[in-house]
Amino acid sequence: MPIGTNVTGKMVTALKKLGFNKVFDTNTGADLTIMEEGNEFIERLSENKNLPMITSCSPGWVKYIEMNYTENLKHLSSCKSPHEMYGAILKTYYAEKNNINPNSICVVSVMPCVAKKYEANREELSNQGMKDVDIVITTRELARMIKQGNIEFVELEDSSFDEPMGEATGAGAIFGTTGGVMEAALRTVSEKLTGNSLEKIEFETVRGEEGIKRATVTIGEKEIKAVVAHGLANAQKIMEEIKSGKADYQFVEIMACPGGCVMGGGQPIKSSKTRMTVDVRKKRADALYTIDEKSVIRKSHENGVIKKLYDEFLEKPGSHKAHELLHTHYIAKEKYNI
Amino acid sequence: MAEENYINLTIDGTQVKTKEGMTILEAAKSVGIDIPTLCFLKDINEVGDCRMCIVEVEGRKGFATSCIQKVEEGMIIHTHSPAVLEARRVILDLILSNHHKDCLTCSRSGNCELQNLAIKFNVQNIEYTGKQSEHTIDDLSPSIVRDFNKCILCRRCIATCKNVQKIGAIDCMNRGFDSCISTVNNQSLRDVNCTNCGQCIEACPTGALREKDNTDEVWKALKDEKKYVIVQTAPAVRVALGEEFRYANRYKCNRKNGNGS
Repeated sequence: MPIGTNVTGKMVTALKKLGFNKVFDTNTGADLTIMEEGNEFIERLSENKNLPMITSCSPGWVKYIEMNYTENLKHLSSCKSPHEMYGAILKTYYAEKNNINPNSICVVSVMPCVAKKYEANREELSNQGMKDVDIVITTRELARMIKQGNIEFVELEDSSFDEPMGEATGAGAIFGTTGGVMEAALRTVSEKLTGNSLEKIEFETVRGEEGIKRATVTIGEKEIKAVVAHGLANAQKIMEEIKSGKADYQFVEIMACPGGCVMGGGQPIKSSKTRMTVDVRKKRADALYTIDEKSVIRKSHENGVIKKLYDEFLEKPGSHKAHELLHTHYIAKEKYNI
Repeated sequence: MAEENYINLTIDGTQVKTKEGMTILEAAKSVGIDIPTLCFLKDINEVGDCRMCIVEVEGRKGFATSCIQKVEEGMIIHTHSPAVLEARRVILDLILSNHHKDCLTCSRSGNCELQNLAIKFNVQNIEYTGKQSEHTIDDLSPSIVRDFNKCILCRRCIATCKNVQKIGAIDCMNRGFDSCISTVNNQSLRDVNCTNCGQCIEACPTGALREKDNTDEVWKALKDEKKYVIVQTAPAVRVALGEEFRYANRYKCNRKNGNGS
Protein backbone atom coordinates (compact mmCIF):
# COMPACT_ATOMS: atom_id res chain seq x y z
CA MET A 1 0.00 0.00 0.00
CA PRO A 2 1.28 3.53 -0.71
CA ILE A 3 3.56 5.27 1.79
CA GLY A 4 1.58 7.38 4.22
CA THR A 5 -1.71 5.47 3.94
CA ASN A 6 -3.69 5.67 7.17
CA VAL A 7 -4.61 2.05 7.93
CA THR A 8 -5.94 2.53 11.49
CA GLY A 9 -9.19 0.61 10.86
CA LYS A 10 -7.54 -2.39 9.19
CA MET A 11 -4.82 -2.46 11.83
CA VAL A 12 -7.38 -2.66 14.63
CA THR A 13 -9.25 -5.44 12.81
CA ALA A 14 -6.01 -7.37 12.31
CA LEU A 15 -5.11 -7.05 16.01
CA LYS A 16 -8.55 -8.33 17.00
CA LYS A 17 -8.15 -11.27 14.60
CA LEU A 18 -4.77 -12.07 16.14
CA GLY A 19 -6.61 -12.64 19.41
CA PHE A 20 -5.73 -9.73 21.68
CA ASN A 21 -8.29 -9.31 24.47
CA LYS A 22 -8.41 -5.55 24.00
CA VAL A 23 -7.08 -3.19 21.37
CA PHE A 24 -6.36 0.29 22.70
CA ASP A 25 -4.80 3.43 21.32
CA THR A 26 -1.51 4.86 22.61
CA ASN A 27 -2.85 8.24 21.43
CA THR A 28 -4.98 8.15 24.59
CA GLY A 29 -1.74 7.72 26.53
CA ALA A 30 -0.36 10.68 24.60
CA ASP A 31 -3.32 12.80 25.75
CA LEU A 32 -2.55 11.76 29.31
CA THR A 33 1.09 12.73 28.81
CA ILE A 34 0.01 16.18 27.65
CA MET A 35 -2.11 16.63 30.79
CA GLU A 36 0.84 15.78 33.03
CA GLU A 37 3.54 17.45 30.98
CA GLY A 38 1.43 20.57 30.42
CA ASN A 39 0.83 20.85 34.13
CA GLU A 40 4.51 20.27 34.88
CA PHE A 41 5.46 23.00 32.42
CA ILE A 42 3.00 25.51 33.91
CA GLU A 43 4.42 24.77 37.38
CA ARG A 44 8.01 25.18 36.26
CA LEU A 45 7.12 28.37 34.41
CA SER A 46 5.42 29.93 37.43
CA GLU A 47 8.36 29.02 39.68
CA ASN A 48 10.91 29.79 36.95
CA LYS A 49 12.54 26.50 37.83
CA ASN A 50 14.49 24.02 35.70
CA LEU A 51 13.74 25.82 32.46
CA PRO A 52 13.83 25.07 29.66
CA MET A 53 11.81 21.93 30.20
CA ILE A 54 12.61 19.20 27.68
CA THR A 55 10.23 16.45 26.56
CA SER A 56 10.96 12.88 27.58
CA CYS A 57 8.90 10.65 25.25
CA SER A 58 11.75 9.54 23.01
CA PRO A 59 13.72 6.76 24.77
CA GLY A 60 16.73 7.07 22.45
CA TRP A 61 16.90 10.74 23.34
CA VAL A 62 16.53 10.01 27.07
CA LYS A 63 19.39 7.49 26.94
CA TYR A 64 21.46 10.02 25.00
CA ILE A 65 21.07 12.80 27.58
CA GLU A 66 21.69 10.34 30.42
CA MET A 67 25.02 9.42 28.82
CA ASN A 68 26.11 12.80 27.50
CA TYR A 69 24.61 15.68 29.50
CA THR A 70 24.26 14.30 32.99
CA GLU A 71 24.41 17.75 34.57
CA ASN A 72 21.31 18.76 32.60
CA LEU A 73 19.00 15.89 33.55
CA LYS A 74 16.89 18.27 35.66
CA HIS A 75 15.67 19.86 32.44
CA LEU A 76 13.92 16.66 31.36
CA SER A 77 10.22 16.42 32.06
CA SER A 78 9.62 13.75 34.69
CA CYS A 79 6.77 12.33 32.58
CA LYS A 80 6.95 8.74 31.46
CA SER A 81 6.38 8.26 27.74
CA PRO A 82 2.78 7.77 26.53
CA HIS A 83 2.78 3.96 26.20
CA GLU A 84 4.41 3.55 29.62
CA MET A 85 1.83 5.87 31.25
CA TYR A 86 -0.90 3.97 29.51
CA GLY A 87 0.48 0.60 30.64
CA ALA A 88 0.55 1.84 34.25
CA ILE A 89 -3.09 2.96 34.00
CA LEU A 90 -4.20 -0.32 32.40
CA LYS A 91 -2.68 -2.33 35.26
CA THR A 92 -4.28 -0.17 37.96
CA TYR A 93 -7.36 1.88 37.12
CA TYR A 94 -8.54 -0.26 34.21
CA ALA A 95 -7.84 -3.57 35.97
CA GLU A 96 -9.67 -2.46 39.11
CA LYS A 97 -12.64 -1.11 37.20
CA ASN A 98 -13.02 -4.27 35.15
CA ASN A 99 -12.20 -6.71 37.88
CA ILE A 100 -9.12 -8.11 36.19
CA ASN A 101 -6.15 -9.34 38.22
CA PRO A 102 -3.39 -6.90 37.22
CA ASN A 103 -0.82 -9.69 37.45
CA SER A 104 -2.58 -11.50 34.62
CA ILE A 105 -2.47 -8.46 32.34
CA CYS A 106 0.15 -8.52 29.61
CA VAL A 107 0.56 -5.14 27.91
CA VAL A 108 1.97 -5.31 24.39
CA SER A 109 3.00 -2.03 22.74
CA VAL A 110 3.31 -1.76 18.98
CA MET A 111 5.83 0.99 18.39
CA PRO A 112 7.69 2.57 15.47
CA CYS A 113 10.78 2.34 17.61
CA VAL A 114 13.42 -0.16 18.74
CA ALA A 115 14.55 2.00 21.69
CA LYS A 116 11.10 1.38 23.23
CA LYS A 117 12.21 -2.24 23.74
CA TYR A 118 15.05 -0.94 25.89
CA GLU A 119 12.77 1.56 27.63
CA ALA A 120 10.21 -1.08 28.64
CA ASN A 121 12.98 -2.93 30.50
CA ARG A 122 14.00 0.07 32.59
CA GLU A 123 13.47 -0.80 36.23
CA GLU A 124 11.99 2.62 37.05
CA LEU A 125 9.14 2.00 34.63
CA SER A 126 7.22 -0.37 36.84
CA ASN A 127 4.78 -0.26 39.69
CA GLN A 128 4.57 -2.74 42.60
CA GLY A 129 6.88 -5.15 40.84
CA MET A 130 4.88 -5.10 37.60
CA LYS A 131 6.38 -3.69 34.44
CA ASP A 132 4.18 -0.97 32.96
CA VAL A 133 4.66 -2.54 29.53
CA ASP A 134 5.54 -6.21 29.12
CA ILE A 135 6.47 -6.59 25.46
CA VAL A 136 7.32 -4.09 22.74
CA ILE A 137 7.15 -5.02 19.07
CA THR A 138 7.84 -2.76 16.12
CA THR A 139 5.68 -1.91 13.11
CA ARG A 140 7.73 -4.43 11.11
CA GLU A 141 7.18 -7.20 13.66
CA LEU A 142 3.44 -6.57 13.70
CA ALA A 143 3.41 -6.87 9.91
CA ARG A 144 5.19 -10.24 10.27
CA MET A 145 2.63 -11.44 12.81
CA ILE A 146 -0.23 -10.43 10.53
CA LYS A 147 1.35 -12.39 7.66
CA GLN A 148 2.02 -15.38 9.95
CA GLY A 149 -1.60 -15.23 11.07
CA ASN A 150 -2.71 -15.65 7.43
CA ILE A 151 -4.60 -12.38 7.51
CA GLU A 152 -5.15 -10.67 4.14
CA PHE A 153 -4.45 -7.20 5.46
CA VAL A 154 -5.49 -5.14 2.44
CA GLU A 155 -8.88 -6.88 2.29
CA LEU A 156 -9.78 -6.22 5.93
CA GLU A 157 -12.80 -4.16 6.93
CA ASP A 158 -12.20 -1.27 9.32
CA SER A 159 -12.95 -1.48 13.00
CA SER A 160 -12.55 0.90 15.90
CA PHE A 161 -10.39 0.75 19.00
CA ASP A 162 -12.08 -0.86 21.98
CA GLU A 163 -14.07 1.29 24.36
CA PRO A 164 -13.75 2.84 26.83
CA MET A 165 -9.99 3.31 26.69
CA GLY A 166 -9.70 3.82 22.96
CA GLU A 167 -10.83 7.42 22.70
CA ALA A 168 -8.09 9.77 21.60
CA THR A 169 -7.71 13.26 20.20
CA GLY A 170 -5.99 14.73 17.18
CA ALA A 171 -3.40 16.12 19.57
CA GLY A 172 -2.45 12.54 20.50
CA ALA A 173 -2.13 11.56 16.83
CA ILE A 174 0.47 14.20 15.95
CA PHE A 175 2.83 12.90 18.68
CA GLY A 176 4.20 10.72 15.92
CA THR A 177 5.88 13.51 14.00
CA THR A 178 8.52 16.08 14.89
CA GLY A 179 6.84 19.12 16.45
CA GLY A 180 3.71 17.18 17.33
CA VAL A 181 4.29 16.89 21.06
CA MET A 182 5.08 20.60 21.25
CA GLU A 183 1.93 21.51 19.30
CA ALA A 184 -0.26 19.23 21.41
CA ALA A 185 1.24 20.69 24.59
CA LEU A 186 0.83 24.28 23.41
CA ARG A 187 -2.86 23.69 22.68
CA THR A 188 -3.46 22.53 26.24
CA VAL A 189 -1.04 24.88 28.01
CA SER A 190 -2.52 27.92 26.20
CA GLU A 191 -6.05 27.13 27.22
CA LYS A 192 -5.09 26.22 30.79
CA LEU A 193 -3.15 29.45 31.26
CA THR A 194 -5.67 31.82 29.70
CA GLY A 195 -8.90 29.98 30.42
CA ASN A 196 -10.01 30.82 26.90
CA SER A 197 -10.56 28.67 23.86
CA LEU A 198 -7.88 29.02 21.18
CA GLU A 199 -9.12 30.60 17.96
CA LYS A 200 -6.57 28.74 15.90
CA ILE A 201 -5.20 25.51 17.24
CA GLU A 202 -2.57 24.82 14.58
CA PHE A 203 0.93 25.92 15.50
CA GLU A 204 2.49 25.78 12.05
CA THR A 205 5.87 27.16 13.11
CA VAL A 206 6.74 23.91 14.87
CA ARG A 207 5.82 21.74 11.86
CA GLY A 208 8.00 20.64 8.95
CA GLU A 209 11.37 19.11 8.18
CA GLU A 210 13.74 21.81 9.48
CA GLY A 211 16.16 20.16 11.93
CA ILE A 212 15.72 22.87 14.56
CA LYS A 213 12.50 24.92 14.67
CA ARG A 214 12.17 27.96 16.90
CA ALA A 215 8.83 29.60 17.68
CA THR A 216 7.60 32.36 19.94
CA VAL A 217 4.06 31.86 21.14
CA THR A 218 2.02 34.49 22.92
CA ILE A 219 -0.16 33.03 25.63
CA GLY A 220 -2.24 35.65 27.41
CA GLU A 221 0.34 38.16 28.56
CA LYS A 222 3.20 35.72 28.45
CA GLU A 223 5.57 35.06 25.60
CA ILE A 224 6.80 31.49 25.46
CA LYS A 225 9.80 30.58 23.39
CA ALA A 226 9.73 27.03 22.14
CA VAL A 227 12.32 24.95 20.31
CA VAL A 228 11.80 21.68 18.45
CA ALA A 229 14.77 19.52 17.44
CA HIS A 230 14.90 16.10 15.83
CA GLY A 231 17.84 13.83 15.06
CA LEU A 232 20.53 13.61 17.74
CA ALA A 233 22.98 15.87 15.88
CA ASN A 234 20.41 18.66 16.27
CA ALA A 235 19.69 17.65 19.85
CA GLN A 236 23.38 18.10 20.58
CA LYS A 237 23.30 21.69 19.29
CA ILE A 238 20.40 22.53 21.61
CA MET A 239 22.09 20.85 24.57
CA GLU A 240 25.25 22.87 23.99
CA GLU A 241 23.14 26.05 24.11
CA ILE A 242 21.52 24.95 27.37
CA LYS A 243 24.82 23.85 28.89
CA SER A 244 26.51 27.15 28.10
CA GLY A 245 23.61 29.18 29.47
CA LYS A 246 22.70 30.65 26.08
CA ALA A 247 19.24 29.12 25.99
CA ASP A 248 16.58 31.83 26.23
CA TYR A 249 13.69 29.45 25.61
CA GLN A 250 11.38 27.71 28.05
CA PHE A 251 10.09 24.60 26.28
CA VAL A 252 12.01 22.12 24.13
CA GLU A 253 10.84 19.06 22.24
CA ILE A 254 13.50 16.57 21.21
CA MET A 255 13.07 13.36 19.22
CA ALA A 256 16.05 11.07 18.63
CA CYS A 257 15.05 10.16 15.09
CA PRO A 258 15.23 12.62 12.21
CA GLY A 259 11.57 13.35 11.41
CA GLY A 260 10.32 11.99 14.72
CA CYS A 261 8.55 8.66 15.28
CA VAL A 262 7.22 8.38 11.71
CA MET A 263 10.85 7.75 10.75
CA GLY A 264 11.62 5.63 13.80
CA GLY A 265 14.01 2.68 13.78
CA GLY A 266 11.11 0.21 13.90
CA GLN A 267 9.28 1.48 10.83
CA PRO A 268 9.10 -0.27 7.43
CA ILE A 269 12.53 -0.10 5.80
CA LYS A 270 12.68 1.89 2.59
CA SER A 271 15.28 1.11 -0.05
CA SER A 272 17.92 3.61 -1.06
CA LYS A 273 16.03 4.01 -4.33
CA THR A 274 12.77 4.93 -2.60
CA ARG A 275 14.55 7.30 -0.25
CA MET A 276 16.06 9.03 -3.28
CA THR A 277 12.72 9.80 -4.90
CA VAL A 278 10.05 9.88 -2.19
CA ASP A 279 9.85 12.16 0.85
CA VAL A 280 8.84 9.33 3.18
CA ARG A 281 8.82 11.54 6.28
CA LYS A 282 6.45 14.07 4.74
CA LYS A 283 4.00 11.47 3.46
CA ARG A 284 3.74 9.75 6.83
CA ALA A 285 3.61 13.06 8.76
CA ASP A 286 0.94 14.47 6.44
CA ALA A 287 -1.18 11.40 7.17
CA LEU A 288 -0.96 12.15 10.91
CA TYR A 289 -1.88 15.81 10.39
CA THR A 290 -4.88 14.63 8.36
CA ILE A 291 -5.97 12.38 11.23
CA ASP A 292 -5.70 15.40 13.54
CA GLU A 293 -7.64 17.64 11.16
CA LYS A 294 -10.46 15.13 10.88
CA SER A 295 -10.66 14.44 14.61
CA VAL A 296 -13.73 15.70 16.43
CA ILE A 297 -11.68 16.45 19.53
CA ARG A 298 -8.27 17.98 18.92
CA LYS A 299 -7.13 19.03 22.39
CA SER A 300 -5.92 16.51 24.97
CA HIS A 301 -7.73 18.18 27.90
CA GLU A 302 -11.06 17.71 26.12
CA ASN A 303 -10.67 13.93 25.89
CA GLY A 304 -13.64 12.41 27.78
CA VAL A 305 -11.75 9.28 28.82
CA ILE A 306 -8.95 11.36 30.29
CA LYS A 307 -11.39 13.65 32.14
CA LYS A 308 -13.07 10.61 33.65
CA LEU A 309 -9.74 9.07 34.57
CA TYR A 310 -8.84 12.16 36.60
CA ASP A 311 -12.33 12.38 38.16
CA GLU A 312 -12.43 8.74 39.20
CA PHE A 313 -8.82 7.94 39.91
CA LEU A 314 -5.99 10.41 39.50
CA GLU A 315 -7.74 13.50 40.97
CA LYS A 316 -5.74 16.08 39.06
CA PRO A 317 -2.59 16.42 36.95
CA GLY A 318 0.50 16.25 39.13
CA SER A 319 -1.38 14.64 42.03
CA HIS A 320 0.36 12.22 44.38
CA LYS A 321 -1.16 9.27 42.54
CA ALA A 322 -0.23 10.71 39.16
CA HIS A 323 3.35 11.06 40.32
CA GLU A 324 3.43 7.53 41.60
CA LEU A 325 2.17 6.04 38.34
CA LEU A 326 2.95 8.45 35.54
CA HIS A 327 6.26 10.07 36.40
CA THR A 328 9.80 8.75 36.54
CA HIS A 329 13.38 9.81 37.21
CA TYR A 330 16.61 9.69 35.26
CA ILE A 331 19.98 8.21 36.04
CA ALA A 332 23.37 9.37 34.80
CA LYS A 333 24.88 6.57 32.74
CA GLU A 334 28.37 5.64 31.61
CA LYS A 335 28.82 5.68 27.87
CA TYR A 336 30.92 2.54 27.95
CA ASN A 337 30.58 -0.52 30.09
CA ILE A 338 33.89 -2.15 29.25
CA MET B 1 20.28 33.97 -7.30
CA ALA B 2 22.22 33.71 -10.56
CA GLU B 3 20.65 31.85 -13.41
CA GLU B 4 21.30 28.19 -13.00
CA ASN B 5 23.69 26.58 -15.41
CA TYR B 6 22.48 23.65 -17.40
CA ILE B 7 24.51 20.83 -18.88
CA ASN B 8 23.70 18.80 -21.97
CA LEU B 9 24.68 15.17 -22.08
CA THR B 10 23.56 11.86 -23.54
CA ILE B 11 22.59 8.92 -21.37
CA ASP B 12 21.83 5.63 -23.13
CA GLY B 13 21.07 7.51 -26.34
CA THR B 14 18.71 9.98 -24.68
CA GLN B 15 19.54 13.68 -24.77
CA VAL B 16 19.46 14.99 -21.23
CA LYS B 17 19.49 18.61 -20.08
CA THR B 18 20.31 18.76 -16.44
CA LYS B 19 21.43 21.16 -13.73
CA GLU B 20 25.12 21.65 -13.17
CA GLY B 21 26.35 19.88 -10.05
CA MET B 22 24.08 16.86 -10.43
CA THR B 23 25.60 13.41 -10.30
CA ILE B 24 25.30 11.03 -13.24
CA LEU B 25 23.07 8.85 -11.02
CA GLU B 26 20.67 11.75 -10.40
CA ALA B 27 20.71 12.84 -14.05
CA ALA B 28 19.87 9.28 -15.16
CA LYS B 29 17.11 9.07 -12.56
CA SER B 30 15.61 12.33 -13.89
CA VAL B 31 14.96 10.63 -17.25
CA GLY B 32 13.79 7.37 -15.72
CA ILE B 33 17.02 5.40 -16.10
CA ASP B 34 17.69 3.32 -13.04
CA ILE B 35 21.34 2.62 -12.19
CA PRO B 36 21.80 -0.01 -9.46
CA THR B 37 23.44 1.11 -6.21
CA LEU B 38 24.38 -0.47 -2.91
CA CYS B 39 26.42 1.83 -0.69
CA PHE B 40 24.63 4.97 -1.85
CA LEU B 41 22.12 6.56 0.53
CA LYS B 42 20.97 10.00 -0.52
CA ASP B 43 22.38 12.86 1.57
CA ILE B 44 23.81 10.35 4.05
CA ASN B 45 26.34 8.11 2.33
CA GLU B 46 27.60 9.35 -1.03
CA VAL B 47 31.08 7.90 -1.16
CA GLY B 48 31.33 5.68 -4.26
CA ASP B 49 32.57 2.74 -2.27
CA CYS B 50 30.88 -0.37 -3.63
CA ARG B 51 31.22 0.51 -7.35
CA MET B 52 27.88 -1.09 -8.18
CA CYS B 53 26.75 2.13 -9.88
CA ILE B 54 29.62 2.29 -12.38
CA VAL B 55 28.90 3.53 -15.91
CA GLU B 56 30.88 3.92 -19.11
CA VAL B 57 31.75 7.44 -20.25
CA GLU B 58 32.84 7.54 -23.89
CA GLY B 59 36.43 8.63 -24.36
CA ARG B 60 37.44 7.78 -20.80
CA LYS B 61 39.45 4.92 -19.46
CA GLY B 62 37.85 2.73 -16.84
CA PHE B 63 34.43 3.25 -15.38
CA ALA B 64 32.94 6.29 -13.67
CA THR B 65 31.22 5.91 -10.30
CA SER B 66 27.87 7.51 -11.06
CA CYS B 67 26.80 8.27 -7.48
CA ILE B 68 29.66 10.73 -6.99
CA GLN B 69 30.74 11.67 -10.53
CA LYS B 70 29.21 15.01 -11.54
CA VAL B 71 27.76 15.55 -15.01
CA GLU B 72 29.87 17.40 -17.57
CA GLU B 73 28.97 19.08 -20.84
CA GLY B 74 28.84 16.70 -23.77
CA MET B 75 29.28 13.48 -21.82
CA ILE B 76 28.09 10.35 -23.60
CA ILE B 77 27.19 7.78 -20.98
CA HIS B 78 26.24 4.13 -21.18
CA THR B 79 24.64 2.79 -18.04
CA HIS B 80 23.92 -0.76 -19.16
CA SER B 81 26.47 -1.60 -21.87
CA PRO B 82 27.78 -5.20 -21.97
CA ALA B 83 31.09 -4.06 -20.43
CA VAL B 84 29.29 -2.31 -17.57
CA LEU B 85 27.06 -5.29 -16.96
CA GLU B 86 30.01 -7.66 -16.87
CA ALA B 87 31.95 -5.48 -14.44
CA ARG B 88 28.93 -5.07 -12.17
CA ARG B 89 28.42 -8.81 -12.18
CA VAL B 90 32.01 -9.35 -11.03
CA ILE B 91 31.57 -6.81 -8.24
CA LEU B 92 28.34 -8.49 -7.14
CA ASP B 93 29.93 -11.94 -7.26
CA LEU B 94 32.79 -10.75 -5.08
CA ILE B 95 30.39 -9.28 -2.53
CA LEU B 96 28.27 -12.44 -2.53
CA SER B 97 31.31 -14.68 -2.14
CA ASN B 98 31.76 -13.42 1.42
CA HIS B 99 28.11 -13.08 2.43
CA HIS B 100 26.16 -15.58 4.51
CA LYS B 101 23.48 -16.45 2.02
CA ASP B 102 20.93 -17.85 4.45
CA CYS B 103 18.16 -15.82 2.85
CA LEU B 104 15.46 -18.32 3.88
CA THR B 105 15.76 -17.34 7.52
CA CYS B 106 16.71 -13.72 7.02
CA SER B 107 14.38 -10.97 8.26
CA ARG B 108 15.16 -8.93 5.16
CA SER B 109 14.35 -11.63 2.61
CA GLY B 110 12.08 -9.98 0.06
CA ASN B 111 13.21 -6.51 1.08
CA CYS B 112 16.97 -6.83 0.70
CA GLU B 113 18.87 -4.63 -1.70
CA LEU B 114 21.56 -7.29 -2.21
CA GLN B 115 19.01 -10.04 -2.87
CA ASN B 116 17.21 -7.78 -5.33
CA LEU B 117 20.44 -7.23 -7.23
CA ALA B 118 21.17 -10.96 -7.29
CA ILE B 119 17.73 -11.47 -8.87
CA LYS B 120 18.21 -8.59 -11.28
CA PHE B 121 21.60 -9.91 -12.39
CA ASN B 122 20.28 -13.45 -12.71
CA VAL B 123 22.91 -14.83 -10.34
CA GLN B 124 22.58 -18.60 -10.47
CA ASN B 125 25.99 -19.52 -9.22
CA ILE B 126 28.72 -17.57 -7.50
CA GLU B 127 31.99 -17.81 -9.35
CA TYR B 128 34.31 -16.92 -6.56
CA THR B 129 34.75 -19.26 -3.67
CA GLY B 130 37.24 -18.82 -0.92
CA LYS B 131 37.57 -17.88 2.69
CA GLN B 132 34.40 -16.78 4.46
CA SER B 133 34.72 -14.53 7.44
CA GLU B 134 32.93 -15.81 10.55
CA HIS B 135 31.62 -13.47 13.18
CA THR B 136 29.59 -13.97 16.32
CA ILE B 137 26.12 -12.44 16.23
CA ASP B 138 25.72 -9.64 18.76
CA ASP B 139 22.22 -9.94 20.21
CA LEU B 140 22.82 -8.60 23.71
CA SER B 141 21.22 -5.22 23.06
CA PRO B 142 17.48 -5.30 23.82
CA SER B 143 16.90 -3.32 20.62
CA ILE B 144 19.38 -4.12 17.85
CA VAL B 145 20.87 -7.37 16.56
CA ARG B 146 24.15 -7.13 14.66
CA ASP B 147 24.99 -9.99 12.30
CA PHE B 148 28.23 -9.01 10.68
CA ASN B 149 28.21 -12.15 8.50
CA LYS B 150 25.59 -10.42 6.34
CA CYS B 151 27.44 -7.10 6.19
CA ILE B 152 28.68 -5.90 2.80
CA LEU B 153 30.76 -3.03 4.24
CA CYS B 154 28.68 -0.35 2.52
CA ARG B 155 29.10 1.91 5.57
CA ARG B 156 25.56 3.31 5.39
CA CYS B 157 25.12 2.49 9.09
CA ILE B 158 28.36 4.24 10.02
CA ALA B 159 27.39 7.39 8.13
CA THR B 160 23.98 7.40 9.81
CA CYS B 161 25.34 6.87 13.32
CA LYS B 162 28.27 9.22 12.94
CA ASN B 163 26.90 12.04 10.79
CA VAL B 164 23.13 12.07 11.16
CA GLN B 165 23.05 11.17 14.85
CA LYS B 166 26.59 12.31 15.84
CA ILE B 167 26.99 9.23 18.04
CA GLY B 168 29.67 7.16 16.32
CA ALA B 169 28.92 3.92 18.16
CA ILE B 170 30.12 1.91 15.16
CA ASP B 171 32.97 2.34 12.72
CA CYS B 172 35.11 0.40 10.28
CA MET B 173 37.92 -1.56 11.89
CA ASN B 174 40.94 -3.31 10.35
CA ARG B 175 41.86 -3.45 6.68
CA GLY B 176 41.49 -5.71 3.65
CA PHE B 177 39.75 -9.04 4.18
CA ASP B 178 39.69 -8.36 7.94
CA SER B 179 37.70 -5.12 7.53
CA CYS B 180 34.62 -5.11 9.68
CA ILE B 181 32.11 -2.73 11.18
CA SER B 182 32.41 -2.82 14.91
CA THR B 183 32.32 -0.93 18.16
CA VAL B 184 34.99 0.20 20.59
CA ASN B 185 36.98 -2.87 21.57
CA ASN B 186 34.46 -4.99 19.62
CA GLN B 187 32.00 -4.79 22.52
CA SER B 188 28.30 -5.49 22.22
CA LEU B 189 26.12 -2.53 21.22
CA ARG B 190 24.59 -2.93 24.68
CA ASP B 191 27.81 -1.85 26.33
CA VAL B 192 28.81 1.14 24.24
CA ASN B 193 27.44 4.62 23.56
CA CYS B 194 24.59 3.36 21.31
CA THR B 195 21.30 5.15 22.06
CA ASN B 196 19.21 2.25 20.65
CA CYS B 197 17.58 4.59 18.12
CA GLY B 198 17.81 2.00 15.33
CA GLN B 199 18.47 4.44 12.51
CA CYS B 200 21.30 2.09 11.46
CA ILE B 201 18.72 -0.63 10.80
CA GLU B 202 16.79 1.70 8.51
CA ALA B 203 20.03 2.40 6.61
CA CYS B 204 21.19 -1.22 6.24
CA PRO B 205 20.62 -2.68 2.73
CA THR B 206 20.83 -6.28 4.04
CA GLY B 207 20.00 -8.20 7.21
CA ALA B 208 23.24 -7.28 8.97
CA LEU B 209 21.33 -4.98 11.32
CA ARG B 210 17.86 -5.81 12.50
CA GLU B 211 15.56 -5.32 15.47
CA LYS B 212 15.48 -7.80 18.32
CA ASP B 213 12.40 -9.81 17.35
CA ASN B 214 9.97 -10.29 20.26
CA THR B 215 7.04 -11.73 18.30
CA ASP B 216 7.51 -15.20 19.85
CA GLU B 217 6.79 -13.73 23.28
CA VAL B 218 3.61 -12.13 21.96
CA TRP B 219 2.39 -15.41 20.41
CA LYS B 220 3.16 -17.15 23.71
CA ALA B 221 1.12 -14.60 25.68
CA LEU B 222 -1.77 -14.87 23.21
CA LYS B 223 -1.78 -18.65 23.64
CA ASP B 224 -1.80 -18.44 27.43
CA GLU B 225 -5.42 -18.54 28.57
CA LYS B 226 -4.53 -17.16 31.97
CA LYS B 227 -3.22 -13.98 30.42
CA TYR B 228 -5.32 -10.94 29.59
CA VAL B 229 -3.41 -9.51 26.66
CA ILE B 230 -3.94 -5.83 25.86
CA VAL B 231 -2.32 -4.27 22.83
CA GLN B 232 -1.78 -0.57 22.25
CA THR B 233 -0.48 1.07 19.09
CA ALA B 234 1.56 4.25 18.72
CA PRO B 235 0.38 7.05 16.40
CA ALA B 236 3.17 6.57 13.82
CA VAL B 237 2.43 2.85 13.32
CA ARG B 238 -0.94 3.39 11.62
CA VAL B 239 0.50 5.59 8.86
CA ALA B 240 3.30 3.14 7.94
CA LEU B 241 2.05 -0.42 8.61
CA GLY B 242 0.20 -0.56 5.26
CA GLU B 243 3.53 -0.20 3.42
CA GLU B 244 4.39 -3.76 4.44
CA PHE B 245 1.47 -5.19 2.47
CA ARG B 246 0.92 -5.39 -1.26
CA TYR B 247 -2.36 -5.43 -3.07
CA ALA B 248 -3.10 -8.84 -4.55
CA ASN B 249 -3.01 -8.96 -8.37
CA ARG B 250 -6.76 -9.08 -8.72
CA TYR B 251 -7.02 -5.65 -7.18
CA LYS B 252 -6.95 -2.64 -9.38
CA CYS B 253 -4.34 -0.80 -7.47
CA ASN B 254 -3.85 2.85 -7.96
CA ARG B 255 -0.26 2.99 -6.82
CA LYS B 256 1.39 6.28 -7.33
CA ASN B 257 4.86 6.60 -8.78
CA GLY B 258 7.68 5.67 -6.48
CA ASN B 259 5.64 4.10 -3.76
CA GLY B 260 7.22 0.68 -3.81
CA SER B 261 9.14 -0.72 -0.90
